[in-house]
Amino acid sequence: MNRLTSKLQNLKENNKKALVAYLVAGDPDLDTTLDLMHLFVDSGVDVIEIGVPFTDPIAEGPTIQKAHDRALKNNISLKMILELVDKFRETNTETPIVLMGYLNTFISHIDLVQSIGENSADSILVVDVPGELNLQTYGITNPNINTISLISPTTKDDRVESIAKNSTGFIYYVTLRGVTGSSNLNIEEIKNNIQKIQQYSDAPTMAGFGIKSVEDASTLAACSDGIVIGSSIVEMIADESKSKEFGRIGEYLREMKTAIS
Amino acid sequence: MTFSNSNFPDKEGFYGEYGGKFVPETLMYALEELENTYNKLKDNKDFIDEFYKDLSHFVGRPSPLYFAQRLTDHYKSGSIWLKREDLNHTGAHKINNTVGQILLAKYMGKKRIIAETGAGQHGVATATVAARLGLECHIYMGAEDVRRQSLNVYRIKLLGAHVHPVDSGSATLKDALNEALRDWVTNVDDTYYIIGSVTGPHPYPMIVRDFNSVVGKEVIEQSKDLFGKMPDAVVACVGGGSNAMGIFHPFIDIQETRLIGVEAGGEGVSTGEHAAPLNDGTPGVLHGARSYLMQDESGQVKDTKSVSAGLDYPGVGPEHSWLKDIGRAEYVAVSDDDALKAFHEVTELEGIMPALETAHAFAYLEPLMKELDSSANVVVNVSGRGDKDINTVAEIDGIEF
Repeated sequence: MNRLTSKLQNLKENNKKALVAYLVAGDPDLDTTLDLMHLFVDSGVDVIEIGVPFTDPIAEGPTIQKAHDRALKNNISLKMILELVDKFRETNTETPIVLMGYLNTFISHIDLVQSIGENSADSILVVDVPGELNLQTYGITNPNINTISLISPTTKDDRVESIAKNSTGFIYYVTLRGVTGSSNLNIEEIKNNIQKIQQYSDAPTMAGFGIKSVEDASTLAACSDGIVIGSSIVEMIADESKSKEFGRIGEYLREMKTAIS
Repeated sequence: MTFSNSNFPDKEGFYGEYGGKFVPETLMYALEELENTYNKLKDNKDFIDEFYKDLSHFVGRPSPLYFAQRLTDHYKSGSIWLKREDLNHTGAHKINNTVGQILLAKYMGKKRIIAETGAGQHGVATATVAARLGLECHIYMGAEDVRRQSLNVYRIKLLGAHVHPVDSGSATLKDALNEALRDWVTNVDDTYYIIGSVTGPHPYPMIVRDFNSVVGKEVIEQSKDLFGKMPDAVVACVGGGSNAMGIFHPFIDIQETRLIGVEAGGEGVSTGEHAAPLNDGTPGVLHGARSYLMQDESGQVKDTKSVSAGLDYPGVGPEHSWLKDIGRAEYVAVSDDDALKAFHEVTELEGIMPALETAHAFAYLEPLMKELDSSANVVVNVSGRGDKDINTVAEIDGIEF
């Protein structure tokens, strides 16, 4: 079974919520990304989401945009990211890895995506492909890879159903109208919408976008199967990119883990 | 309706393998809402009447098809006709689209208008129609373009709109589009996004084309009146491609007319320093659509180079990509130097100062008129006037004010 699917199933059976943490590959450099991935795991992260840098990341707020720009200055490519995952897998074969990015970078390397083996990345999340479209249309048919679709507060009911059925990894519920790192969560709306999604699908539903505080984390974990943290970590990575003292990130993730337990 | 090359896109918004809707999920409902509204209104008599009334009384349509005597004499062959979009209110073809889209916004009850702009013409055209309806208006513009097009920035501000300079990426048109999309994702409930070219996710390429195709429809009638047949060639510059698509579209089924799109060759297509994806790009996905794109082997979008801010864009409208592939339109490129030469030439010969974008179309007359029969009628789409480019041209000529 796919590493991501079995991990999320396992958590659910034990009545636990998933902590998904995001970083951008190659920000500030690939060696540091590898160290951070291990730090994530040591700090209680269940699933690692690796941002694949793109020149035009339209769904990202300023914090993650800048991280994409920094990574692109290092000429980070999908090939290098898959090599990074291989290195990570030398010592960790447990933690599921999701590659999150934009369609153009994946279809430019469709051969690489198709050759992803069992002991590599586990899932792909393409931000700019509507959920009811099948990634197979774009040549992504690798059985080792499952797919994650996004559902947002503006998704209409009929589409919720078809998107939910198309998601083989988990369903990513975008908790706000906005880009990554925005604020103003509407908790009632989020609760209602996640309930609606769960009527249509057994796939786990993760809540993400705009989750910053332990209070947000705990509230949202209560109505979902887990939460995704991105911008706040990326900001800490940027702050400490010179000193590479990332203790604060470990601390923050442990707090988040406690908050959702 | 017959299934011809002129009634694309298909239901999913594709022109052959180009187009589509590649956007974050949050925008899907807004695109659907827009598509439904447009499909309902495009055959509605009141809507059409209001659109054409605005085009004639506010924009000043129809624009003349003007015989360029001295330019014709200069090339010593054929007849050169100018479709005078530069005479429209606000000085370019862009107003045709914004007049139409602001009507859609009004019918949809949207209170807040956003737009991206490159050369500033679309920003001016949007701020103009928003002012006319008293709607809040925000224009995103690359910081580099804000510098290059300071006159238009001031015009936009005078019209009461807010200009947001965009520093990210290459700080040009593509980054302005990114930022406008991010605004739309955030304010999707009350905001109408007036995209300025035949780019972006479906239904935008179709809507912008339809509103601009008044230009091609007029040319067909005017050609009959003025020289009794269809033109042998129609020439237009292509950045995103809205002026070209507007004049090309009504001609798609008129096979005797060659359709020639002129891209920005920058320092020359062979140098790689240009903005000519149809000449030197590969298919990719940017800003919601699949189309020809300037990209590297990793799928990253390349920086572009052109003396003309309005053509300085790495992508192109999906319908152009399709017209290229099926061979219905030809796409060539003209260098900065040749465009500047044409800018001066047309200004001096005809007393018409074209925009630097438009100057690219004029520059292609040099090889074209040699190639065509001496009886050929050629229409150049004068997409905009050049006043906005005076600072750029003066700087290149080493003149300080």
